[in-house]
Amino acid sequence: MLNYLRLELLQVVRDRYYLLFSLAVPVGFYFLWSNIFGGDRPDPVTGLAAPVDIMVSMASYGALGAALMTTGVRLAAERRSGWLRQLWVTPLKPGTVIVVKIFAAMSLGLPAVILVGLASVVSQGVRLDLGQWVAITALLWVGTLPFAALGTLIGSLVGPEAAQPITIGCYFTLAIAGGMWMPLSVLPAFIQNIAGGLPSTRFAELGRAVAAGHAPSLTAGLVLAAWTLGLGALAVVAYRRATVAA
Amino acid sequence: MEAISIEGVAKSYGNVRAVESLTLRVPAGQVVAVLGPNGAGKSTTVSMMLGLITPDAGSVEMFGKSPAEAAATGYVGAMLQDGDLVPNLTVREVVGFVRGLYPDPMPLDEVLELAGLTDLAKRRTGRLSGGQAQRVRFAMAIAGAPKILVLDEPTAALDVESRRAFWAGIRAYAADGRTVLFATHHLEEADENADRVVVVARGRIVADGTPAEIKQRAGGRAVRFTLGDQPAAGLERLPAVSAVEVEGEVATLHTADPDTVVAALYGTGLKVRDLEIITPALEDAFLSLTSA
Repeated sequence: MLNYLRLELLQVVRDRYYLLFSLAVPVGFYFLWSNIFGGDRPDPVTGLAAPVDIMVSMASYGALGAALMTTGVRLAAERRSGWLRQLWVTPLKPGTVIVVKIFAAMSLGLPAVILVGLASVVSQGVRLDLGQWVAITALLWVGTLPFAALGTLIGSLVGPEAAQPITIGCYFTLAIAGGMWMPLSVLPAFIQNIAGGLPSTRFAELGRAVAAGHAPSLTAGLVLAAWTLGLGALAVVAYRRATVAA
Repeated sequence: MEAISIEGVAKSYGNVRAVESLTLRVPAGQVVAVLGPNGAGKSTTVSMMLGLITPDAGSVEMFGKSPAEAAATGYVGAMLQDGDLVPNLTVREVVGFVRGLYPDPMPLDEVLELAGLTDLAKRRTGRLSGGQAQRVRFAMAIAGAPKILVLDEPTAALDVESRRAFWAGIRAYAADGRTVLFATHHLEEADENADRVVVVARGRIVADGTPAEIKQRAGGRAVRFTLGDQPAAGLERLPAVSAVEVEGEVATLHTADPDTVVAALYGTGLKVRDLEIITPALEDAFLSLTSA
C-alpha cells in the first residue's frame, strides 16, 4: 500500500504539468495579485487584508487543482491503457487502489499550500501564528476530499479525451465561483448567490476563517461534508462500474 | 488439485457468442498454449480466467480459489494484450513496485535479468520501444514469482530475435514447476513452447492434446516415394491408404497409419526409392481443425 502511494506520488511529482499548474501558477499568481492589490485595506466580504486573503485564495486554488487534476485524467487514462487491469491481477485490491489514489491527490495539494504560504511570508510579510499555519495546512488537506471524489467520478465515467476538458472546466468554474481568482465581492450577484452552496467557496472559507483568527463556520463544514458524501457515493458507484467487469 | 480449472464458462456480447461452454483443466506445472485465429475467444477466456470479465455462466478456479482470491493471494501473474505502462517512472521502479505487491517475489535483479532489462533498468518507461515495453510487461508478470503465469498474445510486438529470447525466458520460468498458459495465433509458438495445445475456434475447444497429437488428429500424414515409370495402379488398394496422388515420378499415399502402408508397400514388389514419411506442419492441422 505504501509502495503504491510512493509510485502514485512519484508519477505526479515528475509530471511537468503538475509542477506548472499546481505549483508555479498559484505561486506566480500570488506574487502578481499581491503586488497589484497590495495594502492593508480589508476585503469587505472576508475582512482579511489583501496579502492574507490572496494567500488563502491561491493556496486553495493550488490544492483544488492538484486534487482534481491528479485524479480525473489519470484515472481515465489508466482505465484506457490497461494499467488498472494489470493491477487487478496482482494482490493489490481495487478498493486499496482508489483509497491510495485519493490520499495521494489530497496530499499533492500540500506543496502549493506550503509554497504559497512561504511566498506570502517572504514577499508580503504576512504573519500568522504557527497554530494558524498548521490549521490552514491541515484544513486545506482534508478539505480537498470532495474534489478528489469529483475527479474520481469524472475519471470513472469518461475517457481521457473527455476527462481533460471536463476536469479543467470544473476546476476553473469552481475556482472562479469560489472566489479564488478574484474576491466574491466583485463577482456578479448571481454567482454570489450560489457561491455559498459550492464546495470551493466553503473550502477557501476554511482557510480565510483561520487566517482571520476564528474557527470555520459550522455551515462551511456541513456544505463540504454534504458534497463529500454526495460526490463520494457517486464516485464509488462509478468506480465500481468502471472496474468490475461486465 | 488443478492449477487452473475452467468449468463450462460462456460469455456473449449482445448477440455475439464470444465463448460457448468452455471447459479446460490445467494441472500444475503444465505449459499450455491456447491456439486459435483472431476472434476465436482466446482473450475473452483469458480475461474470465483472471477475473477481469465475469462469465455469463460457468466458473473459474485457480488452485481452488476464485480469480479475485487467487489474485489477492499472489498466485497469478499476467501479461495482458493492452497493458500500457504508466508515465514518469523508470523500468526498475515499475517492476520493483509490482514485485513488492507479492508475498514471495523473485529478487529484482533476477527478474530484470530474465526479462533482458538489466541495461534498461534506469530508463523511463516512456522512452522504450514497443518490444522493450513488452519485456517490461513480461517482467511485471513474473516479478512476484506467481505459481500461475497467464500471457495473452505475449509476443505480438516482438521481432524474431526478441521472440526467441522471450520464449527462453518463459521456459526458464516454467522449468521451476510453474504453470504457464499462453494465448497465441502463432502456430510455431504453440508447437515449440507448449506441452499441450488447446485449439479454440468460434468460442469452443476443437482440439486438445500434445503438439504431436494435434498434428496427427488432423489426419493427413503421408508416405511419399519415387515411383519412376512403374505403374501406379493398385496402390490405392494397399491397407490403410486413404488416397493416392501421382505427380510426375513421385507418388504420395495419404494415410493415418504410415507404418502399415510402408510394410505393405515393400510387399508389392515395386522398386521403392527416396521413401519418406510426411507429417503436415501444425499449420495445416490448425487450418483443418478450425475451419470445420
